[in-house]
Amino acid sequence: MPLLTNILRKKPAFGPGTWLFLSLLAVFILIIPHITGLTTITLLSRIYILAIFGMSYDILRGYTGIINLGHALFFGGGTYIAGIMFSRMGATLDTLLLALLVSLAFAAVVAYIMGQFAFRGSGFTGVIACAMITLAFGEIGRHTAETLREYTQGADGLTFRVPLMFQDRMMMYYYALLFLIAMTLILRQFVNSPTGRVLQAIRDNDQRAKFLGYDTKKYKLIALVVAGMASAAAGIMFALLTRFANTELLTVQSTLNALLYTIVGGTGTLYGAIFGTAFVQLAQNYLLELRGIHEIFSRWLLFFGAIYVLVVLYMPKGLVGAYLQLRERWKARGRT
Amino acid sequence: MHIFLMLLINGLAEGALIFLMAAGLSIILGLLGVVNFTHGVLFIWGGYVSIWIFSMTGSFPIAIIAAVAAGALMGLVFERLFIRPVYGNVTAQILITLGLGVVFTDMARLFWGPNPIPASRPEFMDGTWVIDAVIISQYRIFLIVVGILVAIGINYLVNRTKVGMVMRAGIQSPEMVQALGINIKVYFAGVFAGGAALAALGGALYVPLVGSVWSGMGINNQILAFIVIILGGMGSFYGSAVGSIIIGLTVAFVSWFYPPLTVYTTVLLLLLVLTLKPEGLFGMAVRN
Repeated sequence: MPLLTNILRKKPAFGPGTWLFLSLLAVFILIIPHITGLTTITLLSRIYILAIFGMSYDILRGYTGIINLGHALFFGGGTYIAGIMFSRMGATLDTLLLALLVSLAFAAVVAYIMGQFAFRGSGFTGVIACAMITLAFGEIGRHTAETLREYTQGADGLTFRVPLMFQDRMMMYYYALLFLIAMTLILRQFVNSPTGRVLQAIRDNDQRAKFLGYDTKKYKLIALVVAGMASAAAGIMFALLTRFANTELLTVQSTLNALLYTIVGGTGTLYGAIFGTAFVQLAQNYLLELRGIHEIFSRWLLFFGAIYVLVVLYMPKGLVGAYLQLRERWKARGRT
Repeated sequence: MHIFLMLLINGLAEGALIFLMAAGLSIILGLLGVVNFTHGVLFIWGGYVSIWIFSMTGSFPIAIIAAVAAGALMGLVFERLFIRPVYGNVTAQILITLGLGVVFTDMARLFWGPNPIPASRPEFMDGTWVIDAVIISQYRIFLIVVGILVAIGINYLVNRTKVGMVMRAGIQSPEMVQALGINIKVYFAGVFAGGAALAALGGALYVPLVGSVWSGMGINNQILAFIVIILGGMGSFYGSAVGSIIIGLTVAFVSWFYPPLTVYTTVLLLLLVLTLKPEGLFGMAVRN
């Protein structure tokens, strides 16, 4: 088994065909806003931003082996902080900068406190306790947003204005794309760093890492803080795109969305989250269009849960994992 | 003093309801080593099924039995189709049960609509007793009695019967039990169905207490049950009983004096216990 997983995790070496494909994809991505309508542009911007939310989850689930059921707290927190500050202090770039700093600090502090309690145990019971405690933290966040009606407008949701430069949909598309590229590079750097290697060692065998002398709790805390800050930044971008925040963003369902993006794409690959987000968002959109045919297609959550269970049972490595596996098989066939 | 007595009874009744959830979770965790995030959804289904059957038959006992049966059936199906492939893989268990939770919550919404459905208490228990100016709702006393009976029943089943003996042996060494000619898989399925039935019973009894059933009630109660599980010590049955009483009383007292703080207090209590005693109040080994 370790051999197989090693093969699967090996980064694909780019052949000339792959380069051609990637260049075409890049050109396509750059010109697409000029050849399609507003709906597609917004959908793609959404995918780019949510992909970061998914990737931040992959740092936890895929690289460290943590299940955090309160991850929405960081993403929704970022969106709410931006929303509240825009509506209270005016929609200017200065406010945006301040909101970014505040939400990064918020994410770091909350992640640190959350981790202090969630990462107490180790092994089997540790995973369960972590899931339960993070769930409780997430619910506290949702509850707080619902209670502080004066700031958040409660269940009605908060509508706000954004700085002028983010109001044009086309420009917002490019900002979202830039954000995705920048965050991917940063997070890639992180998972390939010595710290990232330790995280993977913890994921593969918590105890072994501990016996090797690593303070596993400290490394898990680092992973949670990094993932929390990345998803808070994604939350701010989401605020700029949607100009709206409601308590949906803070529910367990929101965390499960990020988890689904990661597992559909393939955990422990980072890029997988981008494919996963695209797949899930496009599927959701497509199914909603079918709602004219039968009413059942408007019940997205039914499909969401079904995809979820099926992926975990039958495709645990996700789209990227399945692709890599197929490629290995083709290669093996070519050799013989 | 009157308020104190009233809150004590409210708290114990609340604790009894949480216990029905927590006991099922705790047994499934302790015996099967499975963490079940579908417990909230079984709770919801218990509530909806009992209301539905009650509106058709007008009989409270039949409604409760139907809810318990529905919970047990769902538990059996979940175990056979979704849990059995992932025994021993905690992460996959968490993910799969979460996914099932989403599907069945939405299915409840599909069948019974997104809005809360009002529910009434059975007539014979709608009354109150007034003892020395303290108003005591009979339904709450009924809940406390049910909670105590369930606790005694489970304790008897696990510690005093042959079935319980096989279950306890199955924790130690499922292979050995299997080698002795006992089909341990049947027992595992039974344990899961039993825990599911308890959750559904909790839901069915919760609905008349709060007066309505809605699809969001599962998650709140599931979180309370989780808090109880960790507070009491994972896998400890006594821990979940004591934890339920503590959390029930906390919820009753705080929500009487300042309701917005209820959620924070329960979680703070959990964090406090974890700080002082990381393995929980009655922590013991869980099947690894």
